Amino acid sequence: MRCKRFERQMWAYLEGQLADAQAFEAHVGACSRCQRQLAAAQATYRALHALPRHRAPTTLSAQVRRRLAEAPARPRLDWARVGRRVALAPVLGLLIALAWWGWQTTHAPVNTAAEDPTEALVELHEQLEVADWSPSPTPSYFISTGYTR
Amino acid sequence: MFRETVSLSGSSVAVDTLSVEARLVERAKAQDEAAFEQIMNLYAERLYTYILRMVGNATDAEDLVQETFLRAYQGLPCFDGRASLGTWLYRIATNLCIDHQRRRARRVPTVSYSAHNDEDGEPAEWDFPDHQTPNPLQAALNRELEAVVEEAIGTLSPKLKTVLLLYDVEELSYEEIGRVLGIPIGTVKSRLNHARAQIQKAVAAYLADAPAAVQARVAK
Repeated sequence: MRCKRFERQMWAYLEGQLADAQAFEAHVGACSRCQRQLAAAQATYRALHALPRHRAPTTLSAQVRRRLAEAPARPRLDWARVGRRVALAPVLGLLIALAWWGWQTTHAPVNTAAEDPTEALVELHEQLEVADWSPSPTPSYFISTGYTR
Repeated sequence: MFRETVSLSGSSVAVDTLSVEARLVERAKAQDEAAFEQIMNLYAERLYTYILRMVGNATDAEDLVQETFLRAYQGLPCFDGRASLGTWLYRIATNLCIDHQRRRARRVPTVSYSAHNDEDGEPAEWDFPDHQTPNPLQAALNRELEAVVEEAIGTLSPKLKTVLLLYDVEELSYEEIGRVLGIPIGTVKSRLNHARAQIQKAVAAYLADAPAAVQARVAK
């Protein structure tokens, strides 16, 4: 075993979670550097687990009760209020839709073509004329359709 | 919820504790103040100790532990019991501590926490386990080592400190810490290794400077 491997296994060994501790212990027996490291880790582990608890202040629960009394009451579900809100939702939705429609009619660009079907057809035809239908139509296409550009 | 309570020998104790807690939570949700008081009694010491080590100041710790319970009470309707009560309380406390440290970082640094003296300079009250009744010399050495460790904990970054305290001191499992902090178990393990390595470094430096007799006693 090398020192690197020893370092990786050291805490597992101290926690008693190392399945095969023989190689680990053999290395510790032979390496003074790792012996020192294990001694420090052992002392650390023991000290951490023996750290004392501190007594909570005796006034703690009284203080919490006081602060709870001062704090606004815990919000409870007010079904009447929820019901009113649910009932108001469709009305609110309708108002938003009306407002949107109103804005559209006053601010949207005037499209005269949409109002006159003939104009709309002309506009569509022009768009079709301008459109580049095929990157490179074959000559036979022009012959068979009689299409000219 | 804690590692020792979920061991095979103590499994019935753990189940009992969880069911007692679940009943207390249900009663507290129904605004039974006595039940909430019992929850506070169950967790006050653990949370206060944890918060004190996180923030290093008794006054702030007292305020933060109050805030933890206050938020827990107000958040009880949202507590669905998927995590244990303890995990949930530690999560609230951890978030409060991290917020507190962020705020404090923007202010003037405060005097660091001393392991053996409270704010008035009086010796702090310790609750040693009954089986720990070492001889006076050993006790003095333990205290010295404890002070080294406490000081080293104080120098850790909040990320490392949280994991170290929750695992090695509060004895939560990797999974519970992952839930408290919302991080993967691999990250918990990696942070724990880094934290332990830093503490170990401080202890190694202390041992290197100590006389051989002290080293031998500490190593015992």
